[in-house]
Amino acid sequence: MTQLFSSISASVLVLIVLGLGIVGYVTMRSRAIASGGGDARNLHSLPSYYGANAAMMIAIPSLLVMVLWMLLQPMVIQNTVIKLIPDQMVSEGSSVGLVMSDVRRIADGLDAAVAQGAMSGQEAAGLDAVETDVRSRLAEVGVALGSDVQAPILAAAQKYRLLSQSWRAAMVAVVLVMALAGLGFAYRQTDKDFRARNVVEAGVKGLLIIAASLAILTTVGIVFSMLFESINFFRMHPWQDFFLGGSWAPNFRGNSDLSILPLLWGTLYISFIALLVAVPIGLFAAIYLSEYAGPKVRSAAKPLLEILAGIPTIVYGLFALLTVGPFLVNIFGRGDNGVLGVDWMSGATSVLTAGLVMGIMLIPFVSSLSDDIINAVPQSLRDGSYGLGATHSETVRQVILPAALPGIVGAILLAASRAIGETMIVVLGAGAIARFSGNPFEGMTTITTRIVSQLTGDTDFASAETLVAFALGLTLFVLTLALNVLALYIVRKYREQYE
Amino acid sequence: MKDSNISENDVITQPVKIAARNVQVYYGDNHAIKDVNVEIDDKTVTAFIGPSGCGKSTFLRCINRMNDTIDICRVTGDIEIDGEDIYDRKVDPVQLRAKVGMVFQKPNPFPKSIYDNVAYGPRIHGLARNKAELDDIVERALKRGAIWNEVKDRLNEPGTGLSGGQQQRLCIARAVATEPEVLLMDEPCSALDPIATAQVEELIDELRQNYSVVIVTHSMQQAARVSQKTAFFHLGHLVEFGDTDKIFTAPEDPRTESYITGRIG
Repeated sequence: MTQLFSSISASVLVLIVLGLGIVGYVTMRSRAIASGGGDARNLHSLPSYYGANAAMMIAIPSLLVMVLWMLLQPMVIQNTVIKLIPDQMVSEGSSVGLVMSDVRRIADGLDAAVAQGAMSGQEAAGLDAVETDVRSRLAEVGVALGSDVQAPILAAAQKYRLLSQSWRAAMVAVVLVMALAGLGFAYRQTDKDFRARNVVEAGVKGLLIIAASLAILTTVGIVFSMLFESINFFRMHPWQDFFLGGSWAPNFRGNSDLSILPLLWGTLYISFIALLVAVPIGLFAAIYLSEYAGPKVRSAAKPLLEILAGIPTIVYGLFALLTVGPFLVNIFGRGDNGVLGVDWMSGATSVLTAGLVMGIMLIPFVSSLSDDIINAVPQSLRDGSYGLGATHSETVRQVILPAALPGIVGAILLAASRAIGETMIVVLGAGAIARFSGNPFEGMTTITTRIVSQLTGDTDFASAETLVAFALGLTLFVLTLALNVLALYIVRKYREQYE
Repeated sequence: MKDSNISENDVITQPVKIAARNVQVYYGDNHAIKDVNVEIDDKTVTAFIGPSGCGKSTFLRCINRMNDTIDICRVTGDIEIDGEDIYDRKVDPVQLRAKVGMVFQKPNPFPKSIYDNVAYGPRIHGLARNKAELDDIVERALKRGAIWNEVKDRLNEPGTGLSGGQQQRLCIARAVATEPEVLLMDEPCSALDPIATAQVEELIDELRQNYSVVIVTHSMQQAARVSQKTAFFHLGHLVEFGDTDKIFTAPEDPRTESYITGRIG
């Protein structure tokens, strides 16, 4: 029995449960009709609701238990198995995780060997690390091990196999029992007076709640994972240097200067230039589209403008690196060969390059949001202004824009938080040098760029130089979150005014 | 219908202010106003009544060319104010609207202070040479709008914070501030409670001293209370136009009688 159950894989189990659900649906549907004397009008709910109720009772609790079981099982097994391994082995082999991955690997290898018939089940359970060369035996079946297997690890692996088999069998049994119990429960419920419709309604609501809370829990999970790694970072590196220091000079031998301030300066400077580009252009485009353009122009221009929002940012980054950067160098650099005959700019990557391109990227954000907000200004205000003999532009300038201002400010703040969090454009267009400088023709670097560079390549997750990425990410997250909250607060306050 | 201009009651006959001849209005393919001829007197309150969708608001909006702001709307025929065709090429609709003020159905104060609401028109038309003159214009307009006493201590508070009736009187004061010659009112009391309505009606009666007032209303009692002349519109036609007393007591057209007695509409 155990053998049979443990051989059922998770996906087969899901199929079995779903099959049971379908069986439950069909049988309970016909049972409901029968309880109404063959006439569906005698039932409280439509017959399909009885079927759906049965399917729900069968599938949802059992699948939920299955998911939880599969999440918890590895932890429980690991806690049992790790006791078999002497402490000094763990400390030699650097970490529990590494030892456990060895154990899992050997266990999987034994499984594979048994599956291929190279070993019998008893043989696999009774292997002895001293008598048998486990490494070569496993290599025969295609499982390569890094080193010879030590006795405690082999014992642990065998224990691991045994435990996972029995736990898996227990899981299959529990899940099947729950599914059958659900079927029985639905069988007892199904009766012409049973309010299946209301129960299904509640079930649908529950499903929607689960979906919503999964999204929220994921966010919380992300924040916590960043928070824990950031705490680890601040254990290794003084927070005074991170928040108040003056230079960014990571050094993989340790003892590096890791201050966020030069990066924050670069981020804000580039974002500022981006907004300088995006706000006037986006706002004027929105005013034209919502106030002046005819319906034909509007229906053509608005989607065209929104195509800008659909371009992947890496493409903007290429545009910055290959087109805008050299173009700017041609104007502001190259000394006498340049357009202006000055030599202010030496390389294609600069604050100005990244800022300009990011500004272009943000235009549709500003214009689309502002357009909606300008359209939300009631027609009665426009009429009132025209009725007093104001021209179109006077109306826009003195009535519509002031009325829409809070919303537009919200739109700009949302764009700003996009700009601060933007990565690809600055990775390719802004350069890599962290410094405080007001010169827009110099390369500078941003928080996001540094996160990328600290986490790519060979990384050691026990060093401050790597973990600083999480602290940077968390700071960035807090910054953009604050901006978003502020923007949404302003936009919402404005909405209330006219609804 | 024009001959009904001869006054039968104690209204002093005034010169004609607005004359409309053969006015047609189309919304796209929809013929909204059909062949309207009317002469509206100066310093008189003229009421437009009729069932919903009969075109009375549309016709009102022709008088200050507000319909120009609607793309699909087309107006033909002549409308003259003081003998000048307002649909002539030479006429700037923006200037025209300064001369023909309008008050709307829903109070629509701008999201600005009470003072700035009233000063809006004078500012864009350059009516005041300095702050003192502007203060003066604002004060006079608010007094004429019968709201001065309620707001004189809070001129810098937003106009949107006033009550509905106060907002509507503020809008009237705002329209009056540009010194118009004609005041158009599109159901000015439909969003107001009875007390505010009474205040606005009283105000309309006072405004008659200086302006030609045209008011669209759904309330026949209101038309009877405030107007000297009444025009009845039905399905885009001007059915009957004459002295208010006569329209309400001895209508000539059976359709007018049916509407007044509540059989159509």
